[in-house]
Parts: sequence; C-alpha cells; structure tokens
Amino acid sequence: MFNKKRAMLLLSVCLVLVVSGCGANSNEGTGGTNGEPAENGDKVTINFMHLWPEGVSAGQNKIVNQIITEYQDEHPNVAIKQEVLDNEQYKNKLKVLSASNKLPDVGVTWAAGFLQPYVEGQLFTPVDDLLSGELKDKFVAGTTEAYAIDGKTYALPLEFNIAPIYYNKSIFEKYKLEIPQTYEQLKAVVKTLSDNGVAPIALGNKDRWTGSLWYMYLADRMAGQPALSSAISGAGSFKEEGLLKAAAEVQSLVDSQAFVKGFNGLSNEEAKSEFLNGKAAMYMMGTWELPNFTTNEDIPQDFRDSVGFFKFPTVEGGKGDINSWVGGPGVGLFVGENSKVKAESKAFVEYFVTKWGEQSVTGAGVIPATKVDASNMDLPQLYIDLFNEMNQASSITLFADVQMQANAAETHLNMIQALFGKATTPEKFSEEHDTAIASGK
Amino acid sequence: MISGNIRNPNGIAESKSGMISKLGYALLYAVLAAVAALQLFPLVWLLFFSLKNNQEVFNLPPLSLPMNPRWENYAKVWSAGNIDVYFLNSVWITITATLLTVILGSLVTFAVTRMKWKGSSFVLGLFMVAMMIPVHSTLIPLFSLFSKVGLTDHPLSLILSYIAFNMPITIMILLGFYYALPKEVEEAAIIDGCSVNRMFVQIVFPMTSSVIATTAIINMIYNWNEFIFVNTFISSDAYKTLTVGVQNFIGQYTTDWGAIGATLMISILPILIMFLFLSNRIVEGIAAGSVKG
Amino acid sequence: MDKVLSNKKIIALYVLPSLLLILAIVYIPIVLTAYYGLNEWNGIGAMTFVGLDNYMALFKDATFWNSAWHSLLLALFSGLSLMLYLVVAMVLAARIKGAQLFRKIYLIPMLLSSVAIAQLWLKIYHPTNGVLNTLLESIGIANPPAWLAESSIVLFALFIPILWQYAGFYILIYYAALKNIPASLEEAAKIDGANALQIAWKIKLPLAMEVVKVTIVLAVVGSLKYFDLIFVMTDGGPSGSSEVMASYMYHEAFRAYDFGYGSAIGFFLLVICLAVTWVIRKLTATKDTIQYS
Repeated sequence: MFNKKRAMLLLSVCLVLVVSGCGANSNEGTGGTNGEPAENGDKVTINFMHLWPEGVSAGQNKIVNQIITEYQDEHPNVAIKQEVLDNEQYKNKLKVLSASNKLPDVGVTWAAGFLQPYVEGQLFTPVDDLLSGELKDKFVAGTTEAYAIDGKTYALPLEFNIAPIYYNKSIFEKYKLEIPQTYEQLKAVVKTLSDNGVAPIALGNKDRWTGSLWYMYLADRMAGQPALSSAISGAGSFKEEGLLKAAAEVQSLVDSQAFVKGFNGLSNEEAKSEFLNGKAAMYMMGTWELPNFTTNEDIPQDFRDSVGFFKFPTVEGGKGDINSWVGGPGVGLFVGENSKVKAESKAFVEYFVTKWGEQSVTGAGVIPATKVDASNMDLPQLYIDLFNEMNQASSITLFADVQMQANAAETHLNMIQALFGKATTPEKFSEEHDTAIASGK
Repeated sequence: MISGNIRNPNGIAESKSGMISKLGYALLYAVLAAVAALQLFPLVWLLFFSLKNNQEVFNLPPLSLPMNPRWENYAKVWSAGNIDVYFLNSVWITITATLLTVILGSLVTFAVTRMKWKGSSFVLGLFMVAMMIPVHSTLIPLFSLFSKVGLTDHPLSLILSYIAFNMPITIMILLGFYYALPKEVEEAAIIDGCSVNRMFVQIVFPMTSSVIATTAIINMIYNWNEFIFVNTFISSDAYKTLTVGVQNFIGQYTTDWGAIGATLMISILPILIMFLFLSNRIVEGIAAGSVKG
Repeated sequence: MDKVLSNKKIIALYVLPSLLLILAIVYIPIVLTAYYGLNEWNGIGAMTFVGLDNYMALFKDATFWNSAWHSLLLALFSGLSLMLYLVVAMVLAARIKGAQLFRKIYLIPMLLSSVAIAQLWLKIYHPTNGVLNTLLESIGIANPPAWLAESSIVLFALFIPILWQYAGFYILIYYAALKNIPASLEEAAKIDGANALQIAWKIKLPLAMEVVKVTIVLAVVGSLKYFDLIFVMTDGGPSGSSEVMASYMYHEAFRAYDFGYGSAIGFFLLVICLAVTWVIRKLTATKDTIQYS
C-alpha cells in the first residue's frame, strides 16, 4: 500500500504537468461533477446500471425507459441516472466497481452462484422487507428463492423462464414427422432429418450454456431431478450412473449428426439464425425467445406461424418426469449495501418490479417472475401454452451454470464444450465436475 | 492500370532484359491490384452489412447486395440518442491524446537517443516494460486509482490512460527512426550556438515528420477504437465515445446487427479522412529536414 | 557540445512528465497485479495472503502452459510475417506509378475496429454459408471443415485474421522507414549499376534495420498479450484449443472470479514478455549502429 500512496503523489504531479501543459485541451469536458449522487436539497439521484439499451426496440428495452419516466413523473424529487452496458461489459464493470466498492445504487444481477460473492462481500443489501410489503405473494413460487442466501433475499427477480424445444412445423410436415414423446422417437426424428440433409438441431455451443441445457435435460430424464440437483449442490456425485449415462448420450447425439455443423464454434446468435431461417428443424432455448416466434415483425410471418414446441421427451428406463423443466429466473434487481439512497432505491426497485410484471407480458412478450393473470390478455397461443406448462411444472431445475459458484460454473461450461467436442470422456467429465464443486469456489 | 502506364523506375529498361522486366511489372501490378481489391472488400462488406437486418445478415451471403437497402439503420443509429455527443467526444479525446502522446513521446525519444546522461537506457527500459501488461490486469487498479483522485467519469481518465498506454509503442517506433538520424546536423546546429530546445523544435521535429505522421496514425486508430477503458471509467453519457455506441444495439437476448454495422460505418468515416490526410505527410522526411537544417 | 547535450534540466523537462505519467498509470497496476497475484481474492471480498501459491499453481497448470504455447506460436508467426510486410512496404515505397494509391488502400483495413474485423471473419469462416466454405464447395470440395469448431485447426484459422489485422500497422512503419532513406543513396547505387533487388538488400534493408528490430519486439510482445479477436471469435474454445495467455487471464479473473490467480497470470505474462524481449534484443544486437554518411 506504501507504493500506492507514493504513486498517488506521482500521479498528482503528472496531472498538474499535463493539465498545465495543455490547459486549452482539457477544459472543454470538465464541466460536470462526477461520482457521487448529487443531493441538491431533497433532490435524490439514483444510479441505475442495467443491460437494456435504448437502441434495441424488439424486447424488454422500451419498458425500462417507460417505467423510469413514469417513476420520475410520480416522484419529482427523484432522478434516475441510467448507465447501460452490454452483457459482457456489464459483468466486467460490476466486478471492477465492486473491487473499489463503487457499485451503483440499483443494478442487475443474476441468481445463485453469480450473486454469492457479492453477498459474501456485503455489497448487496437484503430486500426481504420489500417481499413482506406490497410485493408479498406477488412472485411465482421458486423465483425469489434463487436469490436467497442464508435465509435472506438479495435481489428481486424480473423474469422467469423455462427451456422447451422449439421446432419448425413445416419441416416436420415435409418429412412426416411426429412430435417425439420418447427419447427413442427423438433420435428417430434426428435420423430422418439428417438422412434427408436437414440439420436436425440448431446449437451454438461456443456460448457453452447452450449445450449445458441439453446435458441438463438428458441428466434430468435419465437420473431424475433429485440426483441432478444433489450432484450440482455437491451432496451427490456426477459419477452417479444415470448422470454418467446422460454424458455418454450427449456424445452419441453428436455422433448421430444431431447438431448443426460446427456447433462448437457457433455462437447462440448464429445458431438461432439457422433455426429462424428454416435451415435447422429444432432449437432448444429459453422462453425469452418467444417474441421472435410470435410478435417480432422482422421475422417472416410464415416462419412465426410454423413454430411449435415440445417438452424434452422421457427416456425409457429413466427416472425423469416429462413435466420437469430446466429454467429459472433470469436477471433480478439488487440494491447496493453502501448506497447513500438505499430507501429511495428500494422504493424504486419495488415499483420497477411491479410495473415490469404488468408490462413485460404484452410489451415484450416475455414471462415475468411476478404472477400475472394472462386469461384476459390477448396473447399468442405459443405464449399461452408455455405459460400453462410453466404452471404445471413438476420441478424447475435452475440452469447449472447459474446455480454453481463462478469457478465451478466455468469448469462445468468448459467440460460441456469438451464433452460435445469429444475432447473428454463421460468419466473425466464427471470427475472434473465433482472436483470443482468440492473445491467450494 | 495493369498494362498502360508502366514506368520502369530503375532505368534499366534499355538493357536486354527489357521485355522480361516489362512482363514482371505487369505481373506486379496484377498482384498489387488483386490485393488492393481484397483490402477494399472489408469496407464494401461493412457498407452492405449496415444496410441489412438480422435476417439478411445471417441468411444472405456476406457480399450480396441487400435487396431493399435499409437506410433506416442509419436513422435508427442517429436517433438512438447521444451519438452526436459520443462523436464529438471521440474526436476531441482522440486528437488530444494523440497530439500529447506524439509530442511527449518525441521528447523522451530525443532525450534518450540524442542526449548524453546516465540511466537513459534504464529509463528506456521502463517505458518498454510498460507495454507488456495485459489490459485486463490494469482495470481494477486503475479504476481505484482514478476514483481516489476523483477522476472516474471524467474524460481526463481516458486521455491519461491513452497517453500512458500508447506512449511505449510510440517511443519504440520513434526509436528506430531517431537512431538513423544523422548526427552531423545537430552538431552543426550546436556549434552555431543553437539551444537544445530550438534544435528539437526547428531541426529534429521536422526531420522526423514522416515517423510522426506514422505514430500519429497509429495512436489515432488505437484511441478511436478503444472501448474497454471507456466502459470501465466512464458512466455518464456526456463523456462516452463512439465505440460505446455499438452497445446501444446489443440487447439482453437480441442484437441488432444492421444498426451495429451502421454505427461502425459512421465511426470509420472520420478516421478514414484523418488517415488519408496524415498519410500524405509520410514523405521523404530526412530529405525535407536536411534542406532546412 | 557534450555539455549542451547533457543539460540535466532539459533532460528532466523532456523525460519526467512522460515518465511520471507511466509510473502512475502503468506501473501502479503492474505492481498491484504482482501483489494481487500473491493473494487469494475473488475481486469482491477480503483478500487472503497466500504467498507464492498462485504462482506455484501456475507452474503446474496444464491449461496455462497450453495457452502460453498458443501465444508463443502466434508470436512466432507474427515475427515471420514481418518479412512479408517488409517486402510489401518495399514495393509500395518504390517509385512506381500508383504506389501512393495502393498504399492508402492497403492500409484501410487497419482502421477497422476489432468488433468489425471479428464480424467479418466470422462471416468468412461460417461452417455452412461462410465465404470460405461456399468457395471451397463451389470448386468441388465436399465437406470443408468448420474452421472455428475443430480443435486442430481453430488456432491457425484465427492467426490469419490476426496477422491480417496488423499487416497495415507494420507496412505503415516500414513504409515510413524506407521513405526516410535519402534518395541520394539510391541514386548513387544506381549509377554504380545496382539493380532493384541489390538496392533493396544491400542499401534499404540495412538502413531500415533499426526499425525492423523494433518491430520484431513490438510484434512479439503484441502477440504474447494478444486478446481481441480470439475473445470475440472463439472465446478460447472449443475446449481451450484457442486459449491464449491473455484470454486465460481474463477467464480466470473475470469469469471464474479468481482475481488473485488471474493477476498471477497477468504478471507472469509480463515476465515472459520481458524475457522474450531480452532474448530478441540480444539476438539482434549489433555493435555498430548504422549511420548515414
């Protein structure tokens, strides 16, 4: 730390030199103040960092600005100052800010494993008081729990997703294919498609969590949800017979040409476009993609009309249930523990979550984490069907990379890519998982 | 261009190998032209890219003309807010940082290569080591440094970082040129009673104009395209630069590629103009300087 | 004269501002990176001092050595490609018609940001409708590889855009260096009957040698800490087969929340750069620096 102090001195010297050397250049942009929220009288500024940029019109992004504008109108003493970054940059900045203890008042976080270090570092404040207030019983069961650590909830979820397999009805019709009810049937569908030169499944496994979904479902159907969950939590093991078989099954799917060519080098975005362009017949993805299959005008109407979905089929002799899903809450909002405007920030979060629930269904076509009465809304059938499936789910297993702690999640994702790329064996895959989870990082 | 105007530069056309050399030059031009076409391809591609929507970006071959060009991408970019602010910030931050880096770098290089003092090679070493740290290692320390001196969310944090991180490479490039400068000119200047300052400004600086243009171009490109520091140190829209504009179109689940293309296209124009301008400055530097000296 | 050129005040005036800036903005992060490397730290909570544990773990980490090998390969290829760039620069610097225009066109791609270059090459390498595979299929190659998905080729597939990205940078520097050679030398050689190749080899190359040495260091150090395109195009995958040191550092520090270990990688990367630079300087050292006479 001695170094740091001395270097600070040096820096100040430098600044003086640079500024005095070229005053003309550096004066233009220095009008505003920086950093801390300005409190002029009782005017309060809430710094809100999120990842919904104004420019992308399709999706949730409009709603954010609408909510902020409304909130500022209703609370003239509050100004919401937004900072928008894309996903990757957002995560990096959150980390850099945390290291210097400069988190925004309100920000976006992910559940479970992502949240944990921030909670342990005491950077997020518990929001349990909001849950017992106006928002009591407003959340869908199982959503806020993903943000709870040691009995306290540290963020309020906005979205809730499950991952079905979407399929292209016209391709299925063309080859006289039925929706597979069992895994054997799914394999038959894959074979027919690939024999006819159609890519069966769009998968962008450069992003790795995409492949994880496939493994998760196979594991759920073969070993059963409890076995999978306990392996992820560290109570059980990935060497459990059903889980090993699931890993082996991933490789046999790869061998049967089930996935698009070069899937391990494709991003999810690229793979999605294979499905959207009718080049691949199936695509497993979260319900956040619904707008692309229902209301997004950029996608041709014929295509949108021909998208259906099915549940991941059961495996003969497996312990899984067809109504068991992989999914969970997406992002949530946190309030900074060291925020100078904690109370105001909490009030804003409460307002935001409520409004988001009301508007995101019709405005963005996504499923919120708060309960909605969809019965009297005019919604696309695909949306309604999936919404109902969600309500009938026997269990929803949170995405593995979200559940696990950061280090273990990295191992999981890397091993997924290796498994799909046949750079590892199911045994090694399981072993690496157990080691990473046992290390507790 | 390939056949018409070949001029033999070496004056050996009169020799017996005239035919062969003519053929050789035709071949040379063919290769040069082919490579030039390849090098122009990215710009054309980017233009087409910026006129497509997501469907077309992914579905059509990259060099296909968009069926109905979507100029609205440009309108979208311009109306998505702040792009004009970002633009101005990019311009003045890039110019300031580039000017300072080149001037300060020249001073250091001059002192290290032309003046006699103990520790000059050690100091040079310090500058060289400074280019070996990966940028992501610097983010957390730099952010806490800037936040302690109150420079986060301040354009000075960008300018200082750009100067500091581009200084080593600038000095390195200048170095190779300074070593090759003839010593006689300076010696003459000093015998004439010229001060070091005057010598630097009036003799050495003009003599190195071509490398100064070179380093200026390089600095300019780096500063113009930089985004990691902007994202990390700046949070107000008022101080962000154009590279951040791209993020306006990366949503949580959807990315608007056409608009990103349009942003990239808009952002390449100013730097292209600056490049063409500066690139003309790379002429026979020493010759020009010597005449004055 | 030596007195004039060793004026301490002037040396301080020329060197100190830049030096202090570098010490503050680059050396603080370097020192802190080394320090973080001695700790177990997730970047958020409290640090635990663990001594050299991270560095010891690094020596046993196969993934790290794998990524170091990839970085070294890139450095090797970058170094070798400098020869090609030098030849191109020589052609462009020769007084042939249209050289000015060619030079400008050749350097245009270097203006593009990494974001644009990555998108371009993703479209070229796309396994099914990419430019490259469409081309290969049209000439009858039945099942061309998925360039970015196959462990055995992905690294080399990435080298091409990386080398291409930096071609303009080095051609520009070489061009300026060659233009800096007084025309009188070339004229004199011509009168003595030297041909173009002889002039290039015997006169231009030796005179540009100082610059070439510098660019070798720049290319190697730049490659060792290279990050941009690899991060966007493959993210180090599939399963680590295109991971380089800087991307591994990033993954450990920012994805796996192991900032202590990531910092150790970052600092070790600096040490490797330093060692390699030292070796290069030794190998390329010449006793007599060339002077124009």
